[in-house]
Amino acid sequence: MKKFSRITSLMLALVMIVGLAAACGNSNNAANSSSAASTNSASGNTSAETDTVTALLPPVSATYQDNFNKFSKDFNTKYPNLTLKIEPASWEDMTQKLDVQVNAGSPPDIAFIGADGISKYVDTGLLMNIKDIATADMISDFDEGPLNYMKNGDGLYGFPAYMEIHAIGGNKQYLEQAGIDYKSIQQNGWTFDQFRDAIKKGVVKEGNATKRYGFVFACAGVAAKDYLSIMVKSAGMPSSFTNDLKYAYTSKNYLELLKELRTLIDDGSMPKELSSVDAGKRWNMFLTGQTMITGKGLATFENSANKNNAKIDAKDGSAVKDSIKVDYIVLPIPSFAGAQAVSTPAVDGYVTFRGKNEPTKAHVDNVVKAAYYMASGEVAAMTNNDLFVAHITKSANEAAKSMKIDRNPDNETAVQNMLKIAAPARPDIPTDLGAKAIKIEDEVIIPKFQALLANEITPEDMYKAVKEAAVAAFGEDGIVKD
Amino acid sequence: MNNCKNEVKKRKFKFNEDYFWGYVFIAVALAVFAMFTLYPVISAFIISFQEFKPLGSQWIGLENYAGLLKDKLFGKSIVNTVTYTVFSVPVSLFISFIIAVMIYPLKKSLQTFFKAIYYLPVVASGVALSVVWLWIFDPMPQGILNTIIGWFGISNQNWLGSSNTAMLSLLLMSWLSSHGTSIIIYLAALLGIPDSFFESADLDGATFIKKLRYIIIPLLKPTTLFLLVTGIIGSFQVFMNAYMMTGGGPNNATTMVGLLIFNNAFKYSKFGIAAAQSLVLAAIIAVISIFQFKVLGDDVEY
Repeated sequence: MKKFSRITSLMLALVMIVGLAAACGNSNNAANSSSAASTNSASGNTSAETDTVTALLPPVSATYQDNFNKFSKDFNTKYPNLTLKIEPASWEDMTQKLDVQVNAGSPPDIAFIGADGISKYVDTGLLMNIKDIATADMISDFDEGPLNYMKNGDGLYGFPAYMEIHAIGGNKQYLEQAGIDYKSIQQNGWTFDQFRDAIKKGVVKEGNATKRYGFVFACAGVAAKDYLSIMVKSAGMPSSFTNDLKYAYTSKNYLELLKELRTLIDDGSMPKELSSVDAGKRWNMFLTGQTMITGKGLATFENSANKNNAKIDAKDGSAVKDSIKVDYIVLPIPSFAGAQAVSTPAVDGYVTFRGKNEPTKAHVDNVVKAAYYMASGEVAAMTNNDLFVAHITKSANEAAKSMKIDRNPDNETAVQNMLKIAAPARPDIPTDLGAKAIKIEDEVIIPKFQALLANEITPEDMYKAVKEAAVAAFGEDGIVKD
Repeated sequence: MNNCKNEVKKRKFKFNEDYFWGYVFIAVALAVFAMFTLYPVISAFIISFQEFKPLGSQWIGLENYAGLLKDKLFGKSIVNTVTYTVFSVPVSLFISFIIAVMIYPLKKSLQTFFKAIYYLPVVASGVALSVVWLWIFDPMPQGILNTIIGWFGISNQNWLGSSNTAMLSLLLMSWLSSHGTSIIIYLAALLGIPDSFFESADLDGATFIKKLRYIIIPLLKPTTLFLLVTGIIGSFQVFMNAYMMTGGGPNNATTMVGLLIFNNAFKYSKFGIAAAQSLVLAAIIAVISIFQFKVLGDDVEY
């Protein structure tokens, strides 16, 4: 009996150890799914040989991840020797999952990220420059503006999926009630003074309490960065560096912008609690009629508002609680300090990675084929239509002709107008300068701006802090002095 | 004498068959410890002297540690973490102690009921709890906490968005949640006090306060020390609250060391700096824990 229990104990212990090893093995396999492909390819495949391309993809649109099987199958039909293995990730997990895989030296072959993340990964040495791999046909399919966002220095590190404009959005009924000619604004833009007057008109009070604000922008936590970075482009600073690579946020226009943004809260047109309003809260405030204009606004919000309207009509309990029917109107960002309005493009796309081992030419070719397949043609057409964003490839435009979307034509025109004045890509900014600017943004600009929104410091205090940090980072000669 | 020593040595290293089974079972725990604790700690120590790059890290000596001395944000995060710990742990322990003492005289079934109620939040996900707290701290007048203070004529507060109230909000969150484990440990300790002590005190006509002062508090001192040390260690490593509730803002008023380490590692991929910060944090925790045992543990009987 004693011997039996010992044997049982030994077996249990072995099972535990094997289980532990297996668990570790599994996680490694999952994390390094691309390494198998890289190793395969490292063994010297030719493009006709079978190969697997791995992709880490978030839910880019509402139906995007539902179509993964179709994407993989269609890709395999087009290239019978290739397999597109897609690993889905939530938006929340995406960066962390990718970072872990990159830092372990085994990233996926393709990942969907914002173009602003490219410089961070270039620094790791694991981004794959496809400038000389992508064919002329592939390159010529893309609009030049968005494609440039996938560049860093001389390198091209993937293909863009879309170029979206970060704007603001209004409630049509409230805009009309306030006597705001939104169609003219969509066409001609507006200045800060016009914007300030307009949102003042949108405020509705009951006694001392504000029942409706003129403008609410999501500013909680790091979202404050969005607010400032979108507005600053229309204050004469389309990039954090001027064309001669001087740090731009020491310009007097920057101080002017900070003063004007603070004024909107002091006017009572924006809530004094703005620094705690997150993205969910401000969208809820918009749908429940607590604000006339909201930001940041994406084209897809029209789709979300329409869906909620349909739920209200159908008396569907899943409609946002206390929401009202809203016709979403795309509005441009006003211009500040007498500068020209410049809209903020958000370019997301499929970036290409390599593993620790040098990939073969054949595998690199296959990765480029897969990235192009995802960023163009039918896949791009379906995804971009879902998001209500403009197509940026000729092939997607062609494929989208047969697809119908129910979209406000005024909004479509407004977005097209903003695309014309979108801030250009700046691949010329050296990585080290870019990294210093990001450090100033994270350690000085965002914290100080949060404090400015909470009325704890003045615009002058913040400007001074930014200037001091900029001088420390770039030297007196490396900053704008005007 | 020498022979005797050799005999002891021989006995010490004699491989008894029974030991084998002990080693087998220890092996599992040891493998887990080595894989998930020892290896990462050693790796972190090595990385802290490097500029980490996936394709080949560069040895930079003490540069990461020297950088910490000049890093104002790291200093501020240490101050924030110490502030949070000083105000969070003792108050939370006091609340847990009071609740445990209140549950103690109840019937066993009622004790179990309250233990389950208070332990429930420990089972819930921290992220889910944070979302509920975000709802409570809604800055608009219709927010839950703002509605409550509104009953007393106080205007609505920007709880998480103002430097004046952000840390207080995190402290409030810690004071009003996560007492489950402490209450259960305190109750177990209370139930371990022999009834005869209380009976004697009753015969002597001791009041409740006197029983508390002369029986409960002294006999619970080892438990309090244990909870204090583990509480302070946990508090120094606080991450979730700041990450979910404030993101470290506003103006870095709630940036804790744990959050800073996370940001450096996973936001900026500065693993060398993050590793150096982690080890400095570990050293601070070790020093404080040793200090606590030295100062508070001298007259503790286990």
